[in-house]
Amino acid sequence: MATYAEPTGGATAIGVKPRRGPWVKRIAWRVLGAIFVLWAAATFVFFVQQLLPGNQATLILNEQTGNQQSYTAKQLAPTEAKYGLDQPVLTQYWDYIKGLAHGDLGKSYTQHKSVTSIIGEQVGPTLVLTITALILAWILALATILFTSRRRKVVSSLGSGWEIFSAGLPYYWLGVILLVVFAIELKVFPVQGGTSLEGLVLPALTLAIPLAGFIGQVTRDEFEKVLDQPFVTSARARGMGDLAVRVKHVLRHSVLPAITLSGWALGALISGAVIVENVFARPGIGNMIVGAAEHRDVPLVSGVVMLVAFIYVISNILVDIAYAIVDPRLRG
Amino acid sequence: MSATPAPTQGAPAPSARIAVPDWVRGIRPGVALAGLVVAFFVVAMIVPSLLTSHDPYAVNLEETLRSPSWAHIMGTDQSGRDLYARIVYGARESLLIGLGATALGMAIAIVLGTLAGLGNKWVDGIIGRGVEVMFAFPILLLALLFVAVFGPSVTTEIVAVGLGTAPGYARMVRGQVLAVRDSGYVEAARALGHPYGSIVRRHIFPNAMRPLVVVMTLGVGQSIVWASGIAFLGLGVPPPSPEWGALLNAGRNYITQAWWLEVMPGLAIVVFSLSLTTLGRFLQKRLEGGISR
Amino acid sequence: MRTHIAIFAAVAMAVLLAVGLSACGGSSATGAGGGSTDGSSSGSSSDVPGATAASTNVVGTEGATKPTTTPKPGGTIHYAHEMETPCLTGGWIQEAYIERQYADSLVSMEKGGKIVPWLATSWKTTPDHLTWTFTLKPGVKFTNGEPLDAKAVVDNFYAWLNPETINPTVQTYIGEYFQSAKVINPTTFQLKLSKPYAPLLPVISQGYFGILSPSTYKGGAETVCNEPIGSGPFIVQKWTHGQNITFVRNDNYNSAPQNALHQGPAYAEKLIWSYVDDPTTRYGSLTTGQSNVIYDVPGPDWATAQNEFEVQQYITPGRPDTLDLNTVNGPFKDQKVREAFAYGADREAAVASAFEGKTPYNGNGALSQTTPNFNANLEDTWPYNPEKAEALLDEAGWKKNGDGVREKDGKPLDILLIYGANSIITNEGATVLQDLQAQWKEVGFNVTLKPLAFAELFAAEYTKPTSYDATIGYWTSPSAGVMLITWRPWNGKEPNAYNSPFYNDPHLIELIEKGNASFTEADKDKYYGEAQEIVTKKVAAVVGVYTQETTLAVEPNLKDVWLEASQGEPVFSDAYFEGEG
Repeated sequence: MATYAEPTGGATAIGVKPRRGPWVKRIAWRVLGAIFVLWAAATFVFFVQQLLPGNQATLILNEQTGNQQSYTAKQLAPTEAKYGLDQPVLTQYWDYIKGLAHGDLGKSYTQHKSVTSIIGEQVGPTLVLTITALILAWILALATILFTSRRRKVVSSLGSGWEIFSAGLPYYWLGVILLVVFAIELKVFPVQGGTSLEGLVLPALTLAIPLAGFIGQVTRDEFEKVLDQPFVTSARARGMGDLAVRVKHVLRHSVLPAITLSGWALGALISGAVIVENVFARPGIGNMIVGAAEHRDVPLVSGVVMLVAFIYVISNILVDIAYAIVDPRLRG
Repeated sequence: MSATPAPTQGAPAPSARIAVPDWVRGIRPGVALAGLVVAFFVVAMIVPSLLTSHDPYAVNLEETLRSPSWAHIMGTDQSGRDLYARIVYGARESLLIGLGATALGMAIAIVLGTLAGLGNKWVDGIIGRGVEVMFAFPILLLALLFVAVFGPSVTTEIVAVGLGTAPGYARMVRGQVLAVRDSGYVEAARALGHPYGSIVRRHIFPNAMRPLVVVMTLGVGQSIVWASGIAFLGLGVPPPSPEWGALLNAGRNYITQAWWLEVMPGLAIVVFSLSLTTLGRFLQKRLEGGISR
Repeated sequence: MRTHIAIFAAVAMAVLLAVGLSACGGSSATGAGGGSTDGSSSGSSSDVPGATAASTNVVGTEGATKPTTTPKPGGTIHYAHEMETPCLTGGWIQEAYIERQYADSLVSMEKGGKIVPWLATSWKTTPDHLTWTFTLKPGVKFTNGEPLDAKAVVDNFYAWLNPETINPTVQTYIGEYFQSAKVINPTTFQLKLSKPYAPLLPVISQGYFGILSPSTYKGGAETVCNEPIGSGPFIVQKWTHGQNITFVRNDNYNSAPQNALHQGPAYAEKLIWSYVDDPTTRYGSLTTGQSNVIYDVPGPDWATAQNEFEVQQYITPGRPDTLDLNTVNGPFKDQKVREAFAYGADREAAVASAFEGKTPYNGNGALSQTTPNFNANLEDTWPYNPEKAEALLDEAGWKKNGDGVREKDGKPLDILLIYGANSIITNEGATVLQDLQAQWKEVGFNVTLKPLAFAELFAAEYTKPTSYDATIGYWTSPSAGVMLITWRPWNGKEPNAYNSPFYNDPHLIELIEKGNASFTEADKDKYYGEAQEIVTKKVAAVVGVYTQETTLAVEPNLKDVWLEASQGEPVFSDAYFEGEG
């Protein structure tokens, strides 16, 4: 539901201004920064967990037995030992960070399994969904821009109006409407698609449409500026067709800001995936985390949050690289 | 047509034609329409009884799940309550959640952004990293973490959305502070020997904050969308509250039988946040014009 | 300039969308209710509440009918369930549903309440009813090859009560009655009780009492939770959390209960038990053919489901969904206020409206209408009578103030009503509560509804007399003996979280215990009947609202899915696809 209200909101501000210089050094610097971010995120998550009211061992035991009772300290002891809850907080913290370094995200309160393995089982469909949505969003956004930007006033207004409108569509609402119209009423797509290809269409569209609107808004401004550049005029003068000019020259120069945003968007897309997976009953970490939050399975929720932080950090590094490729000035 | 909130029906803002003062002349129909929508919901928030005579909590088991009609322009819900009245009355809680979250996010951002903008390299660096860390937590996931730890509640919603939106605002505040700090008139004030504290207070701070009014306008809509998403997942305000997210959550079960229960609250959110965006952009243009002098 | 037009276009799109939606949706609107509920739900005996139930021990269940054609084996049954449980075994009815698929119990209950052989082929009891001797079917094996003999069964009894691998539901039923279990020979074991327990057989017919392999218990709580091994018609192949459980057929299955439609392995090769929380999506998965069977037919779709699918409804016996009023703290300490609350809202109309005719109203607060020894005379104890409610509140000293809320000594009549959201009280149930809330308001109660998430219930934060004024919940059981569980005292020494009204009464316990020790229906009716009257009428500690139930909608070409009689557990081992190989 990152209804992408306005680029000046959270988004554009993120783009780390590409520094000039040998790109190897720059990337190394970024990796170092990334490790810091992950450490700080983990620290935050750990200490938020410590704020959990009530007794965690009681919760674990009752979840397991389907009970609502209280226990004596003696009854709680084995569970506390098993989850390390009897250790001093700093020891727990150190163990947590140490575990993270080895890819160990702790043990789920409800499933009594390693969080890493649970996420490993569930993350596939979510990645497929978000990456498909990201690609789809780019296709939709570029198509809209190529065909509506600087056309007749009505056309281009419709184009940019659509971008504003679609960027504001909340995922839950769009998702429910697509589900009812195309799956339940028209029966074009499955209602409960699982991980099948047909089942991917509606969830991916739900995620892609608002993002496309957002990418479109950012890119359109840039696109129109570039259209006015002298080299575009000269390309036209050489007799190049309009569409060819747009694709070959203008597009390449106008997608830079939107690429930066894509790195950020991946995080937002995973937020969106939580909603979308819920609406379409699609398997994945998004669907899982809602249940985990309801069950106060704090290690599992934290694990997903850490994973997303990791994805965010990685994708931003990738964006940096993509930047270097698209913008030749940055190549070292 | 009964589907949209009333003000959009009387759309083409006549005042734009009469055009008395200059500032009114620039207002286009889209902006006027957006202004009316926002005004409508602000009235709904303050005196909802002006906009509907129905009681949003009045159960009527004889009239459950009625489709939109003249008597109930947006239909009725599973308890026979008037949906339009519920949306109107729900505006208060929804807007307060949106405002609260934005205010919280903005407060954090102003503190961090100002410190970063005015502090030395180290302060700036540390805050910059901190903000980077905050970006690593998408709003909804942050909200779910808080729900897992503290349980679902309005406070959880506000805090999560506030914290989630803070880093974006913080970057912006920092940018503004830097721009103002390095601007000619601050340099001049410094050259004239004004004490630094008073320069910050009298020049940098007010000038840097001005554009934030716009950002707030944009942010409230977005906060409402996020908060209602949390409620949609069933982790927000409990029934029978007519808060928009709660309406969305309740409407899910009736989507095939009574579509209006899901579509209408969603539409209220979309129309409202779209209108806020429109107004925000309009204000932004105006302010930018003002600053560039 | 351009952006203004763009914005206008965007707003116009929103408006157009709204218009479009209202135009195309108008025709689909239907009035609420009206649909007949009992017509096509074949064999459901739920439609005659009370009348026969109390005397003839009828348990409402889907009748199992002998197949008319020769079923062909094969195929995969896709079943969409609602709630996912934390474990595959345990004390929840939701867990019993699952256990029924991979484990066998000692005995099975037939429609009507008769107990028939399952793993136990016969049993006898001494005249003092303290020693029970069970003879087991020979040669049964768990699906991992371990023998299911007397030793394994005895191990199960001890494991259920062992703190490490405890099954809380088993414990609350037989904990205080169980003395010992011992092996007589490989196919015979003996159960010794400390006092007579008439509900023993119905109780152990439930899914919670499924017999698991000794190695499962040796593996500890985690193995019991995640990888239980039974001897049932299906084997848990894979549990993908948040998604589904894949069951494969137990090809060696030869221990179906006597009331099964056929002996031997199940017809279907696989059973995919998926979790689809959202009712719309769940029903949608059936209408689009992705599921063959769904659990809990949503109220809004109940009427149409009757025409398109085979709909089954099982009204669960035990304690119905009942309002428990806190008898020791807050306004409900005063019986007049409790009675006023019971009179103050039209529970029957609210249930009919919210469930759209699907689920019956249950006025008796102690037992549901399908429970043996149900006291039908209590159904109309507290009819909707706002005048009486107001009079009682006036008498109790609660006077209306300017806002219409009653006050006493300057304190408003605030009632905090908590309930377990989604899993325990369904969406329809929550609608009932909202409808009642509005009516209670009219007589002067200011009721706050507080849905609790799962974890809040499990953190045991809401089990104290100061936690709430009222709560609502159920406790399913095939026996009126369940009242011992729900009314055991909750004093400091032995806290009983299930005694939600905190009502302690030695005479009540005496009556229930006498009922539990009675072996004739007349005696049971007498003792259990009086116990129900005390809690429902005499002290008004519980106010009945609606029954718990299992509903299924099955696609027409899938035959012979049935609901067993003790808990409404869905049974898939007899199910087959018509015209498929």
